[in-house]
Amino acid sequence: MTDQKTLAYINMYAILGALENLCELAPEAPSLLTNTKPIKIGFEVKGGPSATLTFANGKCRMDQGCSKVDVKLPFSSCEKFNGLIDGTVTPIPSKGFTHINFLLKDFTALTDLLNKYLRPDPADLEDEDFFNISTKIMLGVIGVAISQIANNDEIGKFTASNIVDGNILFSIKDGPAVTIRCKDHHLVTVKCGCDNYRAKMEFRNIKLARDLFDGKVNAVACIGKGYITMQGMISMLDNLNRLLDRVAVYLA
Amino acid sequence: MAVKKPTKINTYEKNIEMFERATKVIPSGLYGHQGPAEGCYIPTSAFPFFSQKAQGSYFWDLDGNKFIDYMCAYGPNVLGYNDPDVDAAAMEQAKIENCVTCPSTKIVEFAELLVDTVNCADWAFMAKNGNDATSGAVLTARAATHRKKIIFVKGYYHGVSAWCQKIDYPGITPEDVCNNLYVDWNDIDGLKKVVEENKGEIAAFIAMPYLHGNFFDNILPAEGYWQQVRDLCTKEGIVLIIDDVRAGFRLDLAGSDHFYGFEADIICFCKALANGWNVSAFCGKDWLKDAASSLSYTGSYWMSAVPFAAGIACINKMKKLNTPKQFREQGIQLADGLKAAAANNGFHLTVSGEPALFYLMLHDDDSLMLHQEWIAECVKRGIFFTNHHNHFMNASLTDDDIKQTIDVAEEAFNVLRKNHPELK
Repeated sequence: MTDQKTLAYINMYAILGALENLCELAPEAPSLLTNTKPIKIGFEVKGGPSATLTFANGKCRMDQGCSKVDVKLPFSSCEKFNGLIDGTVTPIPSKGFTHINFLLKDFTALTDLLNKYLRPDPADLEDEDFFNISTKIMLGVIGVAISQIANNDEIGKFTASNIVDGNILFSIKDGPAVTIRCKDHHLVTVKCGCDNYRAKMEFRNIKLARDLFDGKVNAVACIGKGYITMQGMISMLDNLNRLLDRVAVYLA
Repeated sequence: MAVKKPTKINTYEKNIEMFERATKVIPSGLYGHQGPAEGCYIPTSAFPFFSQKAQGSYFWDLDGNKFIDYMCAYGPNVLGYNDPDVDAAAMEQAKIENCVTCPSTKIVEFAELLVDTVNCADWAFMAKNGNDATSGAVLTARAATHRKKIIFVKGYYHGVSAWCQKIDYPGITPEDVCNNLYVDWNDIDGLKKVVEENKGEIAAFIAMPYLHGNFFDNILPAEGYWQQVRDLCTKEGIVLIIDDVRAGFRLDLAGSDHFYGFEADIICFCKALANGWNVSAFCGKDWLKDAASSLSYTGSYWMSAVPFAAGIACINKMKKLNTPKQFREQGIQLADGLKAAAANNGFHLTVSGEPALFYLMLHDDDSLMLHQEWIAECVKRGIFFTNHHNHFMNASLTDDDIKQTIDVAEEAFNVLRKNHPELK
């Protein structure tokens, strides 16, 4: 029970959006970006999301919309865009053929690296630094996917209709966090923590967060054991859990 | 000058050990409404998970900590745990027979007592859990009207069957809930609009006698609300179902519809029906009796005699004691004491709903974190409240229990005040 439009929003903002975190966290990422001038790549999906990735000084930033870009990648449908992410569709730029080398080389290398962190080889996870980076990126992906599902998926929208206004802190103790901001049943994810949260769900350490992401431990039992702390407006967390359930369906 | 000794602070080592053991063989360790992940135990470290014995208004957890219990097993404890009269009736019946090929005549005696006691009841249909009763009521309404849609009040809880869950709950499909319509509580105009938009398609309107929802103050029916609902349902041929599983027999032994001055078509009971013995029932008007009898609806233990014997003893004892009057008086006494304890420490506690099923909520922050902290301090000192659920009165509660509860609540508010110097 998934739909292509919601998946396209997840792929755009959670998956491609994770390139921001990758460039910030993965030591090998900046060296893959050889461009000397900033390059803006726009993704425009008919009937779906549009966003621009800006690559400058070894860093990456995502903005909504794609009006002023160097390379424009149009997609005739959400299905086609989702095909780009799962590797079954090769995009054809409508603008920016002079930057095709960046697209084929730098951008492709970067997305391959992202894939390495998001779908890691178990052996790579033995390395503590890799483990931490991979888990931090995953937290961001999941956090952003929550909002996209709440705003686009039919069942997710029902869940969002029951969420009261305010910030939910979704965090790893002494580690990274995301803030899920709800206003009038519309959710926005900010990829950092906040002080003025109305509800908090916190994993006791990064190892537990990883095990939960990988489905190795039972989240409900972890709440009972106190490994996951819930605090504040519990109705927000109840609904967050329903959205997390949908995240697993989309990102499986 | 005498210095008051601080109350002992509970620890839960054996509870934690047992929960760890439970997670190995039981999904999530403890599932359902009594599981620690349900959101009623915040933080989980302040609460016990397992009991080892119970008596009257108290239970003792696995570590030997004693609690004055205001959850009453989430409602069934209405006379006091191990009530001697109810348990004697059950034990006596157990010596004779219980679950047999042909049921005991206790089912007839029990049904007769329900019909005599419950104002709107012309018949009674027995089952096991509250969910069985509400599901049977909805089936009856659909069988009688040959209509499919059901109107719910937002914030409802009518059990765990697929028809009364929500579209985003695990295991529920859109088809399970596609005939569900939702209205706001106390909104008669909204209800009329939904009825008009679905004219001739609505089988039933199901609601609790008042709004028990969590995370906000419970809301009683507005003046004339139920009478207008009754009139609308009668006019449109909609079966009016009162889910009295939670409030039943605590407000009025004739049913909560009687308490609020109207008559339901079907009323559902469970929790307070037999003081913890496993039986539920839905009772209805004569015009729905044929529809109820047409149902393919039964269960292996639904006609067991022991719970019926307990139920008969329980109802008779509630009548003798006039428990609704006691619950109201003691509930008000407790509420006044708790509110004063809060005010003495500069906090604002609301005690909402009916006194017999009071709902607690501190209004000093919009996240409920202060509320959770206060409840946790009470529980650690032996007063079993939960964070976000209504509580229950029971007939064995004494004035001394209430006094002790208020004293502990005051101590917990003191702790809260000391922990939060930033609050003015």
